[in-house]
Amino acid sequence: MAGSTINTVQNIFQSMEYGPAATPSTATAQAWLDKHSRSLGLFFDGKFVRPADRQSRSLADSKGGHVCSTVCAVEADVSQAASSAVSGHKAWSGLSCYQRAKVLLRLVGVLGQHGQCLSELCELCEASCSPSALVRLLQYYSSWAQLRDTLIPNWTPLGVVAVVVSEDCSLYSLMLKVLPALAMGNSVVVVVPGQSSAPPALLLAQLFVGAGLPAGALNVLTGSDMSLGVKVAQNPSISFVTYSGNKQDGVTLCKATAGMGVPVSVSPNIGATCPFIIFESADIDSAVDAVIEAAFKKKREVHWVLCVQESVLDSVVARLRLRMAGMKCVALHSEGDRVLVDTAVQVAQQQGATLVQSCAAPTPGAQYPPTVLCGAAPSSPFVVSPSPGPLLPLMTFRSNTEAVTLGNHSPHGQAASIWTEDLTLALDTAKSLSVGSVWVNSHSVSDPCLPVSGHKDSGTCTDGGHEGLYQFLRLSSSSSPLPRSSPVSMDYSKFGTAASPAIIPDDSDPASAPMPYLQFVGGKPCKSVSGCSVAVQSPGGGSVLAYCPDGGRKDVRNAVEAAVKVQPGWMKKSPSARAQSLYSLTKGLEAKRRDIAASVSVQTGLSMDEADTEVELSIARLSDWAAYCDKNQGGTPPLPQSGSALSLPEALGVVGLVLPDENPLLSMVTLLGAAIASGNAVVMVPSQKYPLPALAFIQVLQASDLPAGLVNVITGSRDELTAALANHSVIKAIWYWGSAEGCQYLQYTCTSPLKILHLFCQKEDGGKDWTKSHPSLLEEMWRKAVQWKSVWIPTA
Amino acid sequence: MSARNPGMKLDLGWISKVRVNTHAVLKRAQTIQGHKTPKKQWQAAWLLKAVTCIDLTTLAGDDTPSNVHRLCLKAIQPVPYHLLNKMDMHDQGVTTAAVCVYPSRVADAVKSLKAANSSLAVASVATGFPAGQTPLETRLQEVRLAVANGATEIDIVINRTLALTGQWEAMYEEVRQFREACGDAHMKTILAVGELGTFTNVYKASLVAMMAGSDFIKTSTGKESVNATYPVAIVMVRAIRDYFLCTGHKVGFKPAGGIRTAHESLLWLTLIKEELGHDWLCPHLFRLGASSLLADIERQIYHHVTGQYAAYHELPMA
Repeated sequence: MAGSTINTVQNIFQSMEYGPAATPSTATAQAWLDKHSRSLGLFFDGKFVRPADRQSRSLADSKGGHVCSTVCAVEADVSQAASSAVSGHKAWSGLSCYQRAKVLLRLVGVLGQHGQCLSELCELCEASCSPSALVRLLQYYSSWAQLRDTLIPNWTPLGVVAVVVSEDCSLYSLMLKVLPALAMGNSVVVVVPGQSSAPPALLLAQLFVGAGLPAGALNVLTGSDMSLGVKVAQNPSISFVTYSGNKQDGVTLCKATAGMGVPVSVSPNIGATCPFIIFESADIDSAVDAVIEAAFKKKREVHWVLCVQESVLDSVVARLRLRMAGMKCVALHSEGDRVLVDTAVQVAQQQGATLVQSCAAPTPGAQYPPTVLCGAAPSSPFVVSPSPGPLLPLMTFRSNTEAVTLGNHSPHGQAASIWTEDLTLALDTAKSLSVGSVWVNSHSVSDPCLPVSGHKDSGTCTDGGHEGLYQFLRLSSSSSPLPRSSPVSMDYSKFGTAASPAIIPDDSDPASAPMPYLQFVGGKPCKSVSGCSVAVQSPGGGSVLAYCPDGGRKDVRNAVEAAVKVQPGWMKKSPSARAQSLYSLTKGLEAKRRDIAASVSVQTGLSMDEADTEVELSIARLSDWAAYCDKNQGGTPPLPQSGSALSLPEALGVVGLVLPDENPLLSMVTLLGAAIASGNAVVMVPSQKYPLPALAFIQVLQASDLPAGLVNVITGSRDELTAALANHSVIKAIWYWGSAEGCQYLQYTCTSPLKILHLFCQKEDGGKDWTKSHPSLLEEMWRKAVQWKSVWIPTA
Repeated sequence: MSARNPGMKLDLGWISKVRVNTHAVLKRAQTIQGHKTPKKQWQAAWLLKAVTCIDLTTLAGDDTPSNVHRLCLKAIQPVPYHLLNKMDMHDQGVTTAAVCVYPSRVADAVKSLKAANSSLAVASVATGFPAGQTPLETRLQEVRLAVANGATEIDIVINRTLALTGQWEAMYEEVRQFREACGDAHMKTILAVGELGTFTNVYKASLVAMMAGSDFIKTSTGKESVNATYPVAIVMVRAIRDYFLCTGHKVGFKPAGGIRTAHESLLWLTLIKEELGHDWLCPHLFRLGASSLLADIERQIYHHVTGQYAAYHELPMA
């Protein structure tokens, strides 16, 4: 139609078309690219470096035109960038907090001058990021740079941080990692595939130097895939790797870096499925507007699933139909995507889904009209594995509780948007959804002051807010938990499969026969499922002290089942009720102190006095945790927009603890206390060498008023039980003390779903001093035992 | 011309279910205000559309037959012939939608228009405009007299006391009676949104006004401190959409008060197009209550045709 008629005033007067959109000028960005001969180099030592003889990657704009090319960095570039970052870190961390803050603020001024160039470049590269969002990030993190030593004493920067992103990661998500790392005094190596975000990242690095950032504090390497990230992680100067982008590349990175002795955190914020819940008490019109705004973008980072209360389904669908009428087709990335979209829609229709479409799908081409697939169910193929393109599945729910069930029934835990005018319902739902961000009567609101952890498979770290700073800091008193190493070649399928030595009857004196112990699952002492036991050697290794159950995969399964049953109730309990339970545990330990001290002494060979001291310290430590329960309770982050934000620390769920050999009792209660004080349930694997104190502690657990199943103790082969924990999807986190091989195994295995790992490579001479009880040690552990959720409730 | 809204029985259940999220509405309004307005010939066509939707208004204490006469003649030829001719729009019947005056000036307006051989509608405000604080009987009588004098459209004001205190039945009854008094004249119901307190109240009052048979709902009298704002308009057009979805009847919308620039008129058209769709982009379902707006639109059109910015005195005054 539009093409065949002439656009006279008279015709337009009848049709009332908007007319062609003005194409924004990109002259400034083009000029910048021309200055660089349209071929951008790498950025380190404070300048662009264009090494010769490198492969390059061409970047095209939406119409297929050549924008520029980027270099594919190789090994030699990585080591140069790393040494640049090391000297950059020296210069940057040597500045005062005030000086660092000033550099970040100065960049705001620089952006005021060159914001046009940046936003045009983003436009060209389709890496949309508004300069105002960047300014907000800079202002927020410059104030943290200023206050680091005042508000976060006892913590120091990690050193050189590698920020690795995938091709589809937005510039905003990239900067949400880079800026806090810089603000805390780290230097950063950005590893970005040479696509959309790469040119703006390079430009920002250049602008940063103009703002006074020391050379080498921010380096940018471009490449073609995740292998560059792996090469960077391998470099021994890198202390920490953090990743943002799609899940798949994140998994690749985790697996390839397993065993390098460098911690890797992952924020897979692209491609998650997120519920968009409309209750009957919602402002339906506003909700429908928001759905349309959120779901049909060309570049959308998450897959929304629309969940509508049955009673208002018709009214929602009617409005969708009206509001979507006349919407234009959305461009797809390729013709291939079009095939996927067509197939998905076809399958949906075969299953009885009805379509709400803005217009009929045009003949093949890389575009598709916004489409709502009504009549979806959680089992629909297009819900289980969403296709690209502007498709939005719509499901219905009956009650408020069912909405939460529906919203939570997903491997992802990224975000949710809920719509209701009922405050109680909004808060109830926000608390019950296991996602990192809840947006009430709004969607896709991000601000650096909101701490967000992806729940379930959606992440292993917290970004944003005060809480998000800690991934870039370590306690001044602690050393790196993992020694740098090269991955050993190991057969992951064989890990933990070695059989325990069989116990055969012998002729020893029945009076001095070693005592058989029981493990603790679901609140009951029991034997292992296999019925087998293993011998516990005396400290010198000369004789058999006792027999303990040889637990395995099935024991872990039973324990996790018991734990996951009681954990939600435990988390819902008021913190003060949790505190009382922990105090009762403390009292129980005091009552049994003789028995426990004896077990410590027998097991470790300490004198009774020394053993008493350890029990004493353990009682004090448990009391610390009991007291801690109701002291740290999130807050109300101040957003620039008007409204109320909440940041809530939440339990991780079920945590697997593979306990250290040192101070077997004290280390156990320290870790156990941290985990359950913040609402988690635990499955503990006592030290394989020194299991007796933990087994003796079972009687204390049994006598306490902790819910049955909250704490489980399973003994046996450490490796076998570690493998069992790693392969149970319910377990969200594993704290591991053990071999370098075990660390590598966990890093490699715990990727789908992602688990939060805290790995400690046990050294013979001992690493951590468990007897110290500095307040920041407690805080550090507490931070590891929670994940953050932010709730945003906008008001006028 | 489609059928008039016959109204329906008052549905209090529907009204009690109304929920409006203020923040979301403000955000939507921002989005619409940030919408790129049409350019070049699209802009000219849209501005002419806006002209055809204007209720050219004078509501002042010093109105006399002479300025009403000038207003009427301006309404018949709102854009100079030579400009329309250049755009090939001279034979498209570009007049304003109506002239809008006080009841006592209706006869003057009718006379002027008749003398000029025009069938342009004369609208009259009535029912104790602007406050509505006069007895029901005199308000009804005012409507009847305006109709008798030749007004074909009546802009009534609702009783804010009833709306603010939630007496929806009483408000419904009053508006219903006004509608009867209007007879064949179209009724535009002024909600005086600036005095209704909340968006939820605006939505409810809109629904009640439509249930009682309003042909249009109108934002304000132009005499309140807050007049036609985009957020409040979004609430009202959503009520119109809601009513349309439930009954199939299309009710018109008229923002009034404070609309002065050509750019604003384009935003209003955008808002209607976005929220209600193309069907509502006609004088039958959309009006702009304005007095000084026309002059600015004329200047923009003058610029489109000639490439020059006109001085006010170059264009015929109203």
